[in-house]
Amino acid sequence: MSRGDQIASTALGRLFRGQTAIDFYGRRRVGLVIAIIVLLATVGSMSTRGLDLGLDFEGGDAWDIPASQTFGVDEAKVVLEDNGVSTNGARIQRRSSDTNDLITVEIEEVTQANAEQITTAFANAAGVGTDEVNFSFTSSTWGGEITDKAVRALIIFLIVVSIFISIRFEWRMALAALAAMTHDVIVVVGAYSLFGFEVTPGTVIAFLTILGYSLYDTIVVFDRVRENEGKYAGVRMPYEDIVNISMNQVLMRSINTSISSIIPVISLLLIGSGLLGAVTLREFGLALLIGMISGIYSSIFVATPLLAGFKSNVGRKARRERLTGDNLRAAVIGSGVTGRVGATVGSADGGSTAKGASHDDDVKTAAVLEPAGRLLTHPPRPRKKKRR
Amino acid sequence: MKRRLWFSLIATVVAVIAALAGNIATNNEPILGLDLQGGLSVILAPEEGATGDDLLVVRDLVRSSLERSGVAEPDVRVQGSNIVVDLPGVKDKEEALRSVSVSGIVELRAVVNFTECSASIPAVSTDETIADGRVLGSDGTITVDGDPADEVTPPVDEESIGFLNDEAKTSFRRSAPDPDADPDAPADTEAPADSDPVVEAPIDLAPTPTPTIAGAEFLPTLDGSALCAGPTQASGEVFERDSASVQLGQFGQFSVSVDLRGDGEAAWNALATQCFNRLPSCPSTGIDADGSARPGQIAIVLDGIVQSAPVVNVPVFDGSVSITGSFTQDEADQLSDVLNRGAFPVQVTPQETRTVSASAGGDSLRAAIIAGLIGLALVLTFLVAYYRWLALVIIGGLTVWAMAVYSAAAFVSGATNYALSLAGVTGIIVAIGVTVDSYVVFFERMKDEIRNGRTLRNAAPRSFNSTWRTIWSADLVSIIGALILFSLSVGSVRGFALYLGITTMCDLFVCFFFTRPAVLLIARSKFMVGKRAFGLEVATS
Repeated sequence: MSRGDQIASTALGRLFRGQTAIDFYGRRRVGLVIAIIVLLATVGSMSTRGLDLGLDFEGGDAWDIPASQTFGVDEAKVVLEDNGVSTNGARIQRRSSDTNDLITVEIEEVTQANAEQITTAFANAAGVGTDEVNFSFTSSTWGGEITDKAVRALIIFLIVVSIFISIRFEWRMALAALAAMTHDVIVVVGAYSLFGFEVTPGTVIAFLTILGYSLYDTIVVFDRVRENEGKYAGVRMPYEDIVNISMNQVLMRSINTSISSIIPVISLLLIGSGLLGAVTLREFGLALLIGMISGIYSSIFVATPLLAGFKSNVGRKARRERLTGDNLRAAVIGSGVTGRVGATVGSADGGSTAKGASHDDDVKTAAVLEPAGRLLTHPPRPRKKKRR
Repeated sequence: MKRRLWFSLIATVVAVIAALAGNIATNNEPILGLDLQGGLSVILAPEEGATGDDLLVVRDLVRSSLERSGVAEPDVRVQGSNIVVDLPGVKDKEEALRSVSVSGIVELRAVVNFTECSASIPAVSTDETIADGRVLGSDGTITVDGDPADEVTPPVDEESIGFLNDEAKTSFRRSAPDPDADPDAPADTEAPADSDPVVEAPIDLAPTPTPTIAGAEFLPTLDGSALCAGPTQASGEVFERDSASVQLGQFGQFSVSVDLRGDGEAAWNALATQCFNRLPSCPSTGIDADGSARPGQIAIVLDGIVQSAPVVNVPVFDGSVSITGSFTQDEADQLSDVLNRGAFPVQVTPQETRTVSASAGGDSLRAAIIAGLIGLALVLTFLVAYYRWLALVIIGGLTVWAMAVYSAAAFVSGATNYALSLAGVTGIIVAIGVTVDSYVVFFERMKDEIRNGRTLRNAAPRSFNSTWRTIWSADLVSIIGALILFSLSVGSVRGFALYLGITTMCDLFVCFFFTRPAVLLIARSKFMVGKRAFGLEVATS
């Protein structure tokens, strides 16, 4: 009745119709090797370069300059840039009370000579003497206490989530999900270290967002694995096959969701920080973009192969080689809905040849429909005739 | 069934619009963070001789006090020799000053006999004070009038009144079970029966009016009476910061327990041992249940006001201290706050308030919102191109979701003080992706079912059931994360957890009460027949 039974002739068409047969498990080593390379790059970069912690973590230098008609936040920015200080990590605010009106400029610590030079520059720009520009050191706002509490909360969260996944799914899935999440965090930390981006409280929030997103994405994929596990419980399907079938079935969903999640972030990065010039958005945007791409990658290429690896050593012994090619395709399509396989071959052929033969690959269709029945231990129940 | 679906759909839309309208009508909008909107800044100046380390300790204390009192995500730092506190969402200077007046030194002093204090102040005022105390005492149902010994014996401090009234009996006990503590504990809990006969027994342990303790003075208690406290022997620094908590005992009585710091234990125990052994520096102030002299009391003093003066029931405390008594919950919370505060190593006083501008630049919020909306428009275009007519449900659902998130954020801001920072705004933009995912999972599943020969009408409820299971599993992880991070962390991490929780809850809510009825109704109606969805033509059912 629908053309869905016909296998599309192009790869894109097959993707669109949910007919892909990619052997994810067979390519697991590629995913793991990339993950290990990323891990090594991060460790290397962290040990040599470390992270560039921002003003809020390390404190820095601060100036209080009297504000006037001709000297405001924007002028202070110009002075900083003229002196070769990036305004990206700087905090420039106007602080006013009844008695005075100040521009407070806080930047990361600079050398004393530089600091004196900047003091003079501010004094000149504001049109006041250098003694009216107050220079001092400023401490971090993000105390060790905040980090300690956040880390403690995070550890408790990970333990609770592991228990939850173990109960809802199983402990191997919890392990694989945590591994994927760790991978994502490592990727983002590595990118920050490698490219020398400044870490701000906003970055920490972005890390946490990524962590949550990664877990979410992995669980959606695992839910399908779990479902198929139950579906094939009777036919002693090797776990590698179940993973492959599930991955192919959720592929379109993963792609759609990724597009929907990443478009707003790219917009934030390009339009927000690029066109509209809000530089503070850049750091969030970058951290989120890298993290989300990594999150999507890791749930497909890290979490699931790991899960299959954990599972293949236990329980059922593989009865045969794992399914590939058209056999896998048949399983991907056939297991979408129970009790359907090969039911309407005749009528579908009739409809599709007239409608869109050019879009359908008859050879593949025949290959898929033919052996599909052998996956099931019993022949499907014939569909009842509909009443008109 | 159909009527229930319509009801759910309409009720959800009406409820969300009503919530939004309510928030707009009452001018309730989310508080914006320091980076987006600025706020008020208070400068705290420490007293002379404060070292840099002291100031860093004060910085942490000020921040945690602010968070406890409900000011979320303040920005506290040491600048030069002052402490600068930036408060988001506070518009009123008085309010700002009030919220940062959190300094105060907690002192621990032994409670001594009234005679010790008579020397430290002029005789006339001594009489007055004692007289005051007695008046209060007799108002407070102390039945010791006419007893010649009562002038000195009944200490008119809150704990003793409580002892007599069985109202605020307070004692120290070791948290861990201990052979020494155990005999004390039951005696404490059964005090009401024993207390009456004891009151009349005039135990005059310090009848000599010769003061021997330097530095003793009268201090007011919380209920307005006064007691005589010896010199300060230790400060609140003996307590582990943020370790005090209120516990509910098995008989419904509240107690406060607090941990001792490694380096504070000695100081605390030195004081406790004096009191337990009823030494002259911390004499007995009453009679115990069995008629013997009760151990002395330790007064916990904040800014010159006695917060509590519990009786010490064990000589040596091991790691933690538990204060039991029949507090009301408010009293217990207040005491726990005082203990949590620990001690400020130096006094700080608010100097000046200033308004402070947004640190991220005023246009950041506008840029984030514009970029977010453009991103959203692109996502919707993509979804319309992909899902065709069914994308109508996504557009409706996202609108309801956005209104619900806004209302919830506005409500939470009004009720607590959580500010929406730039990180929060970007978090919400990411949440769009997660929210769209629940539709994608649902529709992809329906696509599978339809492609495999089911009708739309048949596929919709089946698909929803399996989708719902996936969505709540995945969302529950986010909600667990939000709850744990919110309850255990501080500062901007806490704000993040709040918005994660709000967006996820709204996602679940909209998915079940809007998307489900909307899709099921569309699947049942003739609306989709012959129209294209998922790139498939929907056949007649």
